[in-house]
Amino acid sequence: MTAVSLVDVASYLPGEPVPAEFYTEYPAAEDKLRDHPMFKVPPSRHHVAADETNADMVERAVQPLIERHGREEIRGVDVLLVHSQLPDLPFVGAGTEVARRLGLNPEWLVDVANAGCASFVYMLKLARQILTTTDAKTALICNAQSAAGQWFTQSQVRRLAQAAIPGDGCGVGYVTTSSDAPILDVETRHIGEYAGEMTVAADDGRKYWEPGQSQLRIGFSDASVAKVLARGNRLVPEVVTDLCRRLGVATTDIDTLITNQPNRTFLRNWREALRLPGERHPNTFDEYGNLFGAAIPITLDRALSSRRIEDGNLVVLAGFAHAGDFAGAAAVRWRGTRG
Amino acid sequence: MSEEPSTLADIPGLLRIENAGKEELTAHCMELTHAVYPHHQVYGRYCTIHEYVDCPPEQVYDYLRQGHHLEEWTCSLRDFAPSGTPGLWVGHDRLENDTRIYCEVVANPAAMTVDYHCAWDQGEKLWMIYLMRVVPARLVLGEQGSVITWTNCRHPHYDANPYPEKAPRPDRPWVGDYWDLFYAGHTLEMNNLKAILEHRHRNGLPLGVAPARPVTR
Repeated sequence: MTAVSLVDVASYLPGEPVPAEFYTEYPAAEDKLRDHPMFKVPPSRHHVAADETNADMVERAVQPLIERHGREEIRGVDVLLVHSQLPDLPFVGAGTEVARRLGLNPEWLVDVANAGCASFVYMLKLARQILTTTDAKTALICNAQSAAGQWFTQSQVRRLAQAAIPGDGCGVGYVTTSSDAPILDVETRHIGEYAGEMTVAADDGRKYWEPGQSQLRIGFSDASVAKVLARGNRLVPEVVTDLCRRLGVATTDIDTLITNQPNRTFLRNWREALRLPGERHPNTFDEYGNLFGAAIPITLDRALSSRRIEDGNLVVLAGFAHAGDFAGAAAVRWRGTRG
Repeated sequence: MSEEPSTLADIPGLLRIENAGKEELTAHCMELTHAVYPHHQVYGRYCTIHEYVDCPPEQVYDYLRQGHHLEEWTCSLRDFAPSGTPGLWVGHDRLENDTRIYCEVVANPAAMTVDYHCAWDQGEKLWMIYLMRVVPARLVLGEQGSVITWTNCRHPHYDANPYPEKAPRPDRPWVGDYWDLFYAGHTLEMNNLKAILEHRHRNGLPLGVAPARPVTR
């Protein structure tokens, strides 16, 4: 079987850091929950600019890859996979616009609209499959998250405890048929049972495209938050444990675990469940908040930049999506190509 | 001088819907909810286990309240005989050689609780207490049969033998040395209990047996 490697990642954070006070000192801000780990406000996050699109962010995030691997090499990718939240257009993803900007001519282009916060893992699996079974040799996978500066800054939503948690950003990965940093295995689960439980909430019940005064936000009842906590607690350790079992290693052999980062409680629980010390589970929650799907590639990029990952390390990327409708984990034997 | 009644507002640290609100309560609960719990956190100070048994609750209670049945379902309690003190039996705990265990059954038919008040080596102070309760499964699980709960609390004597002079020999290991295995050991015994009761109930056999050493009443 052809070896497929995640050879590099890069990222982009829009604008200047936005301090917690943007939310906590907003008139009528909900402050009862500020001291709880589930809702504790990250000190900082980034927001997309008013006119900044997902394609803008991907274009900027890819620049370091172009610098490190050459413009022609990146332009030559055979596969382009893009996940973006919020979509800039309701009827088409950002993929073709990304291709236009970067001058790509991929044979395979998929706008992935499932797998949410763990979509980087799912796109790794897709890329590996396409690179293993076709003539395709290289893939670019992109996660753009632009909900924080758009949805959660709306006048009525901004005062809610949930608004202060998300942050915007974009992470991209470069995947090739090589054995530089092989993707050892990927474990994914689509869990239909939990589909559709994360909703767009509008107080007047209008469809998102219908005109009206209500401001859209992510819908969560207390009960479903509790359910999602229980599912997340279970799902991420499960997929990581199954992945490790297939690889014949213990979870404690993971050198670096990088997950999505909905809040500090999940980060703590996953680390505990997999019996890993904090230093082996880096996150960027305090700096960037909940980055949704972009968290995994951005945190991986930061961990590499700060030299927290050494050659030969077993790196596991894992997460779950939405209200638990997807969970996935990927293992990479890291060998740096950044020089 | 009359005492002013205490108001809840005077008590620090209360979390009630009146002062915390629903969202804050939920957030507190979330924080307390982990994916895994270390063994010592769950079984360090108290050891509670529970099991479903497909056998009518009154019959399960009746079997448990007869202390000599401990010889059937426990791993190592054997040879019970009257001690001479009414209600107090003495047998061997074969976990360790030459070790006597004293036991008194305190049962409440209305609540279907059966507590075994026990101690190694002496019967004056029964500090090692096994608290068991039979609950009709119809009430709590919506099906026939019983739920049995079983709790032990870590009395300080588990950590230090209060009567070392009564041990059969100085180097005899102490019962409290096994505390960390209580979850496992009690689970084995609960499995025995379930197997015995379900087998006899399923096959229409008498649940109990006569004591090997009957006590003259």
